[in-house]
Amino acid sequence: MRLIIRQRPEQAAQYIADYLVRRISAFGPTAERPFVLGLPTGSSPLPIYRALIAAYKQGRISFKHVVTFNMDEYVGLRRDHPESYHSFMYTNFFGHVNIDPKNVNILDGNAPNLTEECRRYEEKIMTLGGIELFLGGVGSDGHIAFNEPGSSLSSRTRIKTLTYETIVANARFFNNNLDAVPHMALTVGVQTIMEAKEVVIIATGTSKAPAIQQAIEGGVSHLCTLSCLQLHPRSMVVVDDDATMELKVKTVKYFAGVERTMLQEAPSLAIITSCASGKTKLPKGSEDAI
Amino acid sequence: MPGKTKPESHVIKFTNCRIVKGDKLIEQDVWIDSTSGKILRDQEAFYGLHLSPDEVIDLGGRILAPGLIDCQLNGAQGFDFSVPQASKEEYDEGLRLVNKGLARTGVTSYLPTLVSSTAEVYHKVLPSLGPSGSKHTPEDGAESLGAHVEGPFLCPARNGVHKKEVLRSATTPDDLAACYGRENFYGNSKTIRLITAAPEVGNMLHTIPHIVSQDIIYSVGHSDATYEQALEATHQGATMITHLFNAMRPFYHRNPGIFGLLGHQSDHPIRPYYGIIADGIHLHPTSIRIAYNAHPDGLVLVTDAMKLCGLPDGVYDWTNGERIIKTGARLTLEGSDKIAGSSATLIECVNNFRRWSGASTAQALNAATAVPARLLGLQGVKGCLDSGADADLLVLSDEDDPYSGRTLTVNQVWKRGSKIYDADKDAGL
Repeated sequence: MRLIIRQRPEQAAQYIADYLVRRISAFGPTAERPFVLGLPTGSSPLPIYRALIAAYKQGRISFKHVVTFNMDEYVGLRRDHPESYHSFMYTNFFGHVNIDPKNVNILDGNAPNLTEECRRYEEKIMTLGGIELFLGGVGSDGHIAFNEPGSSLSSRTRIKTLTYETIVANARFFNNNLDAVPHMALTVGVQTIMEAKEVVIIATGTSKAPAIQQAIEGGVSHLCTLSCLQLHPRSMVVVDDDATMELKVKTVKYFAGVERTMLQEAPSLAIITSCASGKTKLPKGSEDAI
Repeated sequence: MPGKTKPESHVIKFTNCRIVKGDKLIEQDVWIDSTSGKILRDQEAFYGLHLSPDEVIDLGGRILAPGLIDCQLNGAQGFDFSVPQASKEEYDEGLRLVNKGLARTGVTSYLPTLVSSTAEVYHKVLPSLGPSGSKHTPEDGAESLGAHVEGPFLCPARNGVHKKEVLRSATTPDDLAACYGRENFYGNSKTIRLITAAPEVGNMLHTIPHIVSQDIIYSVGHSDATYEQALEATHQGATMITHLFNAMRPFYHRNPGIFGLLGHQSDHPIRPYYGIIADGIHLHPTSIRIAYNAHPDGLVLVTDAMKLCGLPDGVYDWTNGERIIKTGARLTLEGSDKIAGSSATLIECVNNFRRWSGASTAQALNAATAVPARLLGLQGVKGCLDSGADADLLVLSDEDDPYSGRTLTVNQVWKRGSKIYDADKDAGL
């Protein structure tokens, strides 16, 4: 795992946006071989989307041949409800870039058969050759997508009941009315994320510090599903200073040192372009060099 | 679209533009379907129909506003709605030119307004002035939303420039139907949308419920009504005041007259809408500000413009054999100093109103779009950029003018999803 620390949340977001721009450009997506990108919603990823839109407007990136899969969606919330993840993605990202609507995949929380909807989603990911890069956020309890504490680490796309903590956290978007918050969601599983070729996580603010501490310094545990990344060959967590508050000084210094060394010794690895060929297997060494 | 004979839809996205949302301008893209002529719910078009824009128009930060609605307009392009022509064809041809010319000023729909006339005139011209409805094409330009008959049931003492000889009073609804023509007043062929009449004249007060039940808006105007009479008119169903302050009993502290209706508390259900002519001649800027502060949600900007708008100064023939002297924007009846309508455009009125009232740009635009649409029961169809509304759009620049300060200028006009005017391309036409 790599941990990238930036002083301010917007710098962390900019780092990821720049990384994605380089990563997608290096991949050289085409209609036949699109770049398959997993996407989150939430307040932490918002500045990433803003930075990506800016990059698109500057002509640095095209989303024409990017296929997206979103992590999750509420069950029973109208697609055009302002708080649906469909609305979030359209308002904050899709409406501003040249993505083909046919290439956009978001779980349908109003599907007549939700189990079937989840199965179909997994199948579609498989058909496209898996997710190339999964971008994610993290909940204050360490959940990744809606894989709340206690989720199986080998879970796949399915229906989940939200924890009280998540419902309370989301109530602010529903006029602080707990009853208005959907209590269930469809979400990709931990295993779905683990099967992505690369996982990039953003976490900003002090509220995320305990989750980051547990995920990085703790053991792998279903009580903090983000910790599963310890088993991923190619994952990167990008945080701001506030999100490191609970980490040991030693941990912070180590990862900061890694980044410094990488930049000095092997800048090409720091900007992992070795995947440019699109091969699933990374060149030997690049995944464990860090 | 090469290769396609008949596209099912042609989606246009306006981007990098500011639109009216409530009292503010916000940055938001607007999607329209040029084929259906409607504004799209962009998010649903994206997810549901998998539509992406066929055309993206970058407005460079300019304002995208709904087309303006003028509820009181007597004519334009030298054509007077109240003057019948030799034949209906000739009249309709004149009307066609008005519609085209009007659209270029940013007015995409309006109520063609008739001054007090004889029954014969109403019978002749009203059939041409009804709502254009679905048969209206973008190329036709501005669209009628139905006629506004200003008179002839007016108070002779508050006639303004309406000819006293043609004023009359009504005792029963039949008097109205007989005057305007039954087919213009009732049923599917109805061409009248709004009637301005004095409630205190004849038995008008008790005729109001009958008018309103025909889905015709009743507006108090050219009236000597006291506050009590005006209040009673609103109880009977009046929902508007025609050109507030003009042709009515002036505000007096012991009896505030019609203007007093604006003094109700803001949640009072019967506070009427009111027309304001912000041309700088009909009203003092402070009078406008007082009215606006009293009842901001009811202010409807109207031009009350007549056919001389845009013509050179001089003496012109008017209705009923009288003549009008045009001096700049000022129009007076020959042999008097009575103001005879205005020759300002509605966008000029929006600019004036914004300068004088302290209203925000969005609020000033609302007074010529969303508010008149609400008055006319057309919210969601006209005067807004909501999904499903008609794609009647203006592209406006908002720049500093060395003489008049910040000024909104009509750059482009779109009618039902098609661009019908572009100042950059059509200049000098």
